[in-house]
Amino acid sequence: MASSSSSGLTFKLHPLVIVNISDHYTRVKSQMNPPPVTSTSATVNGVEPLQQAPRVYGCVIGVQRGRTVEIFNSFELLYDPSTHSLDRPFLEKKQELYKKVFPHFYILGWYSTGSDAQESDMHIHKALMDINESPLYVLLNPTINPAQKDLPVTIYESELHVIDGIPQLIFVRSSYTIETVEAERISVDHVAHLKPSDGGSAATQLAAHLTGIHSAIKMLNSRIRVLHHHLVGMQKGDVPCENSLLRQVSSLLRRLPAIESEKFQDDFLMEYNDTLLITYLAMFTNCSSTMNELVDKFNTAYDRHSRRGGRTAFI
Amino acid sequence: MEGLVTQIQGLSGTASDVLSLQNLLKQADDSLHAESTRLPPFLDQLDPSKHSLGYLYFLEACTAGPVTQEQASSFVLTIARFISSCVAEQIRLAPDKFISVCKRFKDQVLLLEEPLRGVAPMLTAIRKLQLSSEHLTALHPEFLLLCLLSKCYKTALSILDEDIFEVDQPRDLFLYCYYGGMISIGQKQFRKALELLHNVVTAPMSTVNAIAVEAFKKYILVSLIHHGQFPTNLPKYASSGAQRNLKTLCQPYVELASSYSNGKIADLETYVEANKDKFESDNNLGLVKQAVSSMYKRNIQRLTQTYLTLSLQDIANRVQLNSPKEAEMHVLQMIKDGEIYATINQKDGMVRFLEDPEQYKTCEMIERIGSSIQRLMTVSKKLNVMDELMSCDPLYLAKAGRERQRFDFDDFDNVPPRYNI
Repeated sequence: MASSSSSGLTFKLHPLVIVNISDHYTRVKSQMNPPPVTSTSATVNGVEPLQQAPRVYGCVIGVQRGRTVEIFNSFELLYDPSTHSLDRPFLEKKQELYKKVFPHFYILGWYSTGSDAQESDMHIHKALMDINESPLYVLLNPTINPAQKDLPVTIYESELHVIDGIPQLIFVRSSYTIETVEAERISVDHVAHLKPSDGGSAATQLAAHLTGIHSAIKMLNSRIRVLHHHLVGMQKGDVPCENSLLRQVSSLLRRLPAIESEKFQDDFLMEYNDTLLITYLAMFTNCSSTMNELVDKFNTAYDRHSRRGGRTAFI
Repeated sequence: MEGLVTQIQGLSGTASDVLSLQNLLKQADDSLHAESTRLPPFLDQLDPSKHSLGYLYFLEACTAGPVTQEQASSFVLTIARFISSCVAEQIRLAPDKFISVCKRFKDQVLLLEEPLRGVAPMLTAIRKLQLSSEHLTALHPEFLLLCLLSKCYKTALSILDEDIFEVDQPRDLFLYCYYGGMISIGQKQFRKALELLHNVVTAPMSTVNAIAVEAFKKYILVSLIHHGQFPTNLPKYASSGAQRNLKTLCQPYVELASSYSNGKIADLETYVEANKDKFESDNNLGLVKQAVSSMYKRNIQRLTQTYLTLSLQDIANRVQLNSPKEAEMHVLQMIKDGEIYATINQKDGMVRFLEDPEQYKTCEMIERIGSSIQRLMTVSKKLNVMDELMSCDPLYLAKAGRERQRFDFDDFDNVPPRYNI
């Protein structure tokens, strides 16, 4: 499989598609391994958990205008392992339904999950060629790689290449950009904030600002340390005395804030304390709200008499 | 029996040996209990610091039966030596045996009427049994009981200072907090006592238990002494059983609290006199008297909110004290304790009330706030973990799903109304 496409098409992917695919995969995966607590849904023959991750399949739809292909939405399809193809009648029915609501959308291709495109995928790809002459194959890699910085989504096109004298269709990777509508941006933002980063990058503006300041101070600290070390060496005589360097250091030191009066200390400390108190108050509020939710949940779960049945007020 | 002893001596080396030894001992447990009278000489063959697990099993079987007075003192010695020299990892393999041995130790110490002898060994026992300092074991309340009976409150305070996050048995928590509250009252640390008693009263309980009732009585009194008021409703995290029933079970105390809030000392004293026997039967009379005397403090504090300067005579009149001298004594004591800020002008007998002099611009204040923020962060992390655990709890999900509204905002959505796991 070659690694770059030469068709010259620009692809625009909407985040809805990515969220759909990942949701489909997560659902199927979690349904395959039932939670250990329950007794009703335990499998009868004691099947061991699936070692390999399940593959999910579906179709992507969107608009093609000239050389730009924009993928807006996707829906799920069942894979029939006996015929090695996707569920055709269902696909056509869905296509009809979508046509009614979005008359401009066409079936642009299909999606699946996995770490790399496989030979068997070409089969499905060819089957779709009667709907769209050049379908796309969107592949999502569900393995979580914390070192990876970009999205694990790749778009493949099919090209006719001559290999060993036989013209064959192979998958070639294409580049794409992410395109969002305002509504999508808001929902993706919301989802991103739901899970505070476990070692991820700063999610909010404040955190980004503070990390910037933190790294700046860290750098300042390390540089002062280097200077200090050098000066100490100069004092001890390990390093030859450089007057120009000493002049520079002394002029730097003279530029430092010269206020050392008591009033300055007082004001400075008072402001510092104010900031600390505000942080403390914010943390307190945060903590109390978590505690409040916890208490509510606890009361719902374990207190027999607190809820007398019936419905809560319609918000 | 001898075979068992040799096996213990042989298999107490590495961790895996100890595990196999534990299985052997479990199987031999019944035979040990059957021959409990013959066992004491075998104890001398075993070394508690190396063969802790085996020694524990033997010891537990020895002390299982009824114990006479003479045997009690020798057993107390053996158990005390065992506790101080045993190995923590080995006894953690059989925690319930260890706990029962320590409980019998406590019983025998009480039988000999020398609770002081039991305090130090019990403290070592707790330290060895605890998995971390946040873990509450069944030995904590026993230890506190011994401290209470032997009146050495200071050793108990070191244990009470630790925050508890894990509890084995709810009864342990109730007893621990109740005894802890009593010890703190004895040391006049009313804030800590209030916190501990509050824990007893608001702990989850499906039915109200006697410990909570007694704790509630003391809770009312301590809250009057410390805060000068008693909140009439328990917070919402108290169990519903407690919220409904505790007040009816402690009626005289609740009335005491309401007459306290009126501010008239004479009424309060008459009420106390009227119900003296009830208070005495609960052993709370001392606390009640302290509550009455704290009334003066409340009244003086109330004066600081209205007046800037006041003469001692006026204070005595308003607070219904007998003479300006008494008023001066009270005010001096309160200034020393840091409860009010004032200066007394002895020449003309005037008292000037001042503002809190804390300016919040010192480095010590920064450190204090900084350390509070750190503490709050750890608590917040723990709370988040607990919240997540609770959200996944099937009991909670079942009840929350059941009460879901049938019609959401976007009506006629195909939202399933019940969450079936």
